[in-house]
Amino acid sequence: MSVEELAEAGATEQFAFLDESSKREIRRALLTAVAVPGYQVPFASREMPVARGWGSGGLQITLAIIGAKDVLKVIDQGDDGGVNAVNLRRLIVSTTGVSWTTDVRDATIVQTRHRVPEEPMRADQILVLQVPVPEPLRGVERDMRELARMHAEADYSRMWVSLYEDLVRNGVITQTTGYPVLVNGRYVLATTPVPRWDVPHFDGSEVLFLFGAGREKRVYAIPPHTRAEPLTFEDVEFQVERTEGAACALCGAPEAYLIEVPGRQAWVCSDTDWCERNRAAPRAARSEAELTETARSQNRA
Amino acid sequence: MPDQEPLLSVRGLRKEYVVHAIGRRVLALDDVDLEVSSGEHVVLIGPSGAGKSTLLRCVWRSCLPSSGEMLLCRADGQVVDLARLSDQEMSEVRDEDLGYVSQFLRSEPRRSVLDVVAKAARRGGMDGTEAVEASKTALSAARVAESLWDTYPVLLSGGEQQRVNLAAGTIRPPRLLLLDEPVSALDACNSEAVLSLVEGIAATGTVVFSIFHDMGVVRRLATRVVCIEEGRIVADGPPADVIARRGAA
Amino acid sequence: MRDWALRVENLSKWYGSVVACEDVSLEVGPGEALGIIGESGSGKSTVLRCVAGDVVASSGSVQVRDGAGAVCDLLELTPSQRRHLRVSALSILYQDPSEGLDLNITAGGNIAERLTAAGCRNFAALRSRARELLGRMDVDLGRMDDPVYSFSGGMRQRVQLAKAVANNPSVLLLDEPTTGLDASVAAGVLDLIRGVLEESRVTALVVSHDVSVVSILARRVIVMHQGRVVETGLTDQLLEDPQHPYSQQLVAASRG
Repeated sequence: MSVEELAEAGATEQFAFLDESSKREIRRALLTAVAVPGYQVPFASREMPVARGWGSGGLQITLAIIGAKDVLKVIDQGDDGGVNAVNLRRLIVSTTGVSWTTDVRDATIVQTRHRVPEEPMRADQILVLQVPVPEPLRGVERDMRELARMHAEADYSRMWVSLYEDLVRNGVITQTTGYPVLVNGRYVLATTPVPRWDVPHFDGSEVLFLFGAGREKRVYAIPPHTRAEPLTFEDVEFQVERTEGAACALCGAPEAYLIEVPGRQAWVCSDTDWCERNRAAPRAARSEAELTETARSQNRA
Repeated sequence: MPDQEPLLSVRGLRKEYVVHAIGRRVLALDDVDLEVSSGEHVVLIGPSGAGKSTLLRCVWRSCLPSSGEMLLCRADGQVVDLARLSDQEMSEVRDEDLGYVSQFLRSEPRRSVLDVVAKAARRGGMDGTEAVEASKTALSAARVAESLWDTYPVLLSGGEQQRVNLAAGTIRPPRLLLLDEPVSALDACNSEAVLSLVEGIAATGTVVFSIFHDMGVVRRLATRVVCIEEGRIVADGPPADVIARRGAA
Repeated sequence: MRDWALRVENLSKWYGSVVACEDVSLEVGPGEALGIIGESGSGKSTVLRCVAGDVVASSGSVQVRDGAGAVCDLLELTPSQRRHLRVSALSILYQDPSEGLDLNITAGGNIAERLTAAGCRNFAALRSRARELLGRMDVDLGRMDDPVYSFSGGMRQRVQLAKAVANNPSVLLLDEPTTGLDASVAAGVLDLIRGVLEESRVTALVVSHDVSVVSILARRVIVMHQGRVVETGLTDQLLEDPQHPYSQQLVAASRG
């Protein structure tokens, strides 16, 4: 064969970048993850065109499960326009030809770094989360065998002690992202990368949540209708972030996750898609039922 | 008395101390036979080093007999050989049936007077509150002032310490009380206080088996006197007789 | 013994050709404390560590019997089962408090670790129980939230003791509990241990090379020499009338 002929042979890319056996291996890992909610399943994380630490894990999950008829949404910090989100979306779309959207209501697969969309998602949707550090116990233990043992024996007392120490030192549990949750009453998992605000989404949801950590080579899942209780003492309420009186400067919404505009004393919605919709259809016009549903999904703790 | 089972029956008791490091052997008791029965206060007399202390300590088992038996009739009628009991069983017998006070005033460090007696009460089977109440009663009866109850015994006078030790030794009235020269380290006044306490205890029916070297005290307390010399019993009978024959200065 | 709570039978541990302890048998009654004395290298600590499960015995058995009469052979347990046992049934107080404590967390946190391992999830309950235990051990409550590395040796030992009894274990193992502490500090810790043993009626094994420690805490004692048990007896009897040549040496040395 000539060099040209060899190049020809390699020019037709696989659907969704990965070869079939790679996708199969990832899907099998995902099935295990769904069968054992919260358990970190090891998988053979491939070299991706995205650097480690930039969503290679979440990317591999999306590529393994996406089909030609899927509609893709990718967000970074709640923003479809973030550089990372744009690059990932471009890669996925170019290797699959799927349609994509910024409107979460139209998407079938949403890949995210750092946020869960404000809009309540449906049973036919999958949320894929990019995870930098999957191990919730990393702060209390370094030894891998000991970590494996702790999960295997459900021996989470060191985690509880660190929560105790946190409370004693600070008066509140200070963990902001990656808040640990107890899934299905069995495994403790790190909800990294989402902020506390989004943690209540995971509990008893209709949505399938898949978490991918490329560098650490782990996937895990919270299946629909599964308990995911934020770890806290029974007499210490789990609380989400709240700034009194803050509301989005653009759409006026107070009950969304807000981010501060640097330089100015103002807040805007983190979820750009949601914010846009609010501006297009002013809040007053939204039905009472919609508002109640949104409020309820935020407080589900 | 005669047709009643003796409370304590010592038969063929022999004790030889062996010090391995220097290969020294000392025969302290040689073929001792002795009985102590209900209603008696038996006092051992004899020269220093004769084996009196060793005999009492064998009964208490703070010293292991080399051979022979020491049969004790327990409250439920069972007869046990103190020489052959396991350590746990002997511990039980000490707690329930025996009392022991020696000339050495020592008690456990850093334990208050009340607690010393209460601990003995608890060992004897009383529960916490009962033990404390009984101890207070016993200490009052022993004329140990209430102001001293929270003190450590080591800070009290010799007489007071011995009265505390007696209160502890008799809190759960033992069937047999062993006294090894309880007043030899005390002056006359303190001595008297202890002796009247002993008389009172004997009067309640506790059998006493003791050692004293003051013949006046022996005459006062004993119902029977046994004389030991060089590890052997040389006389056993009414106080007047034995003292007349063997009682040295 | 009719009524034993802890029974060790023919326990042996060797490292290659070196025998650490051989054919050790003993029994401890419920609520009783048994002392093990002997010089360094006698094997007494090895026995304790085998009972605790920190060291894997080479042969023999270690049985624990609970109030209901159920017997469990500790050497047959999986590591996971043994860890479970160590949460609330069996505790060990180490000579070096840093072995039994996490120095980087607070005094209260160390106790909370035991309580949460036993299932407590109530913060107020954790605080109050930790306060109760530390108070009982005479630890200044104002230092409850200080990390243990900032405590003196004697205080660390008190915190370790509080932690060891947090879940009311039925068996307590003490390995040279006052060795290494100053005399006056040691006396305080000893009295505390004595109080704990008496009040809780826990079954205890006390290992010490210091005969006076054992005479305060234990009514019966066994003497070990070169890995074997050479004599057993009531503590006062052993101290006043030791039989075995080695026991005589040991007692003479301690009595001066």
